[in-house]
Amino acid sequence: MFDFDATLPLMAIQFLLLAALLNVVFYKPLGQAIDQRADYIRTTKVEARERLDKAERLAKQYEQDLAETRRQSQAIVAEAQAEAQKKAAQQIAEVQQEAQAQLQQAQKELEQQKQEAFRSLESQVDTLSHQILEKLVGSQMV
Amino acid sequence: MHQSSLLLTVPNTLDSMFLAKIEVGHHLYWQLGNLKLHGQVFLTSWVVIAILVVASLAATRNIQRIPSGLQNLMEYALEFVRDLAKNQIGEKEYRPWVPFVGTLFLFIFLSNWSGALVPWRLIRLPEGELAAPTNDINTTVALALLTSLAYFYAGFSKRGLGYFAKYIEPTPILLPIAILEDFTKPLSLSFRLFGNILADELVVAVLVLLVPLFVPLPIMALGLFTSAIQALVFATLAAAYIHEAIEGHGGEEHESHS
Repeated sequence: MFDFDATLPLMAIQFLLLAALLNVVFYKPLGQAIDQRADYIRTTKVEARERLDKAERLAKQYEQDLAETRRQSQAIVAEAQAEAQKKAAQQIAEVQQEAQAQLQQAQKELEQQKQEAFRSLESQVDTLSHQILEKLVGSQMV
Repeated sequence: MHQSSLLLTVPNTLDSMFLAKIEVGHHLYWQLGNLKLHGQVFLTSWVVIAILVVASLAATRNIQRIPSGLQNLMEYALEFVRDLAKNQIGEKEYRPWVPFVGTLFLFIFLSNWSGALVPWRLIRLPEGELAAPTNDINTTVALALLTSLAYFYAGFSKRGLGYFAKYIEPTPILLPIAILEDFTKPLSLSFRLFGNILADELVVAVLVLLVPLFVPLPIMALGLFTSAIQALVFATLAAAYIHEAIEGHGGEEHESHS
């Protein structure tokens, strides 16, 4: 069982040759393949992460832009509303003023016409009362 | 010694059941000059090596970014041994040691499993029997000695002669123990692997001898498990020894880590 002979050194040499051979046909090419794959995965991952970052940055920027634009549009709408309101108020005031003026003028005219009417009526009253008096008392008395 | 068949000599009546025959210490001897070799160890180790090389070649023939099939399997194996080396030796130094530690693991693992899964006994040899290469003490001692050389080389190439400082590092009183460690490490490595694999095969063989059907199956499954664990243990310990040689026992570098 424990008989040592030339098997031992020859087996050692054979093993070293096997290690050298496997180094050439197994460890080196497959190791390279594994390392290259690891590199590829690493670079692809980094690239993907960069792209993701970029996309997120863009999305954020778009959101900011959107918010900004919305704020601007709201401001514009508010401004326009305010302006319109002001304009309407102004116009209403103007129209009211005009109406007031027309009303006043109409009243004035009415007053004038009334005065005139009164005046003509007074003169008529005079002549009429004169006539009535003539009729009643007679013309010689007057 | 190699002619002793342990205590478990098979009775002649059971000789016909060649599948259950237990032979320990019989080897197929090859003569190379005036050197004696254990032929059956080399035969099975060549099968294991062929499987490894062919699988590697097939996996790397057409490398895809998205792996599939055999490439996926071999990449899994590579990542496994890489993680093993990385965990033991550390992120900074592990890369040059991946081929050594990884080949240790893959070779031992495939050897063990080939011994457990391949019905080698169907192939009859003039003498001895085919079994896992790690079943032979020569193989395990060779691997263990290579591990020793590897960690000495790692220590010297990293720290130069300062490597010797590790022998007297905490206190010079431990010098004999530190020296002894250099002998016990390969001894324990080789005997652990050898003993586990041989014992597993013997237990299975004895059970098959006693109850040929079904009963040995759980033990065989357990054998697969221990085989895998032993390969892992061997490779992990080898990597740990290399790490120790690089970093030193409680050296400044190590302390700055922890």
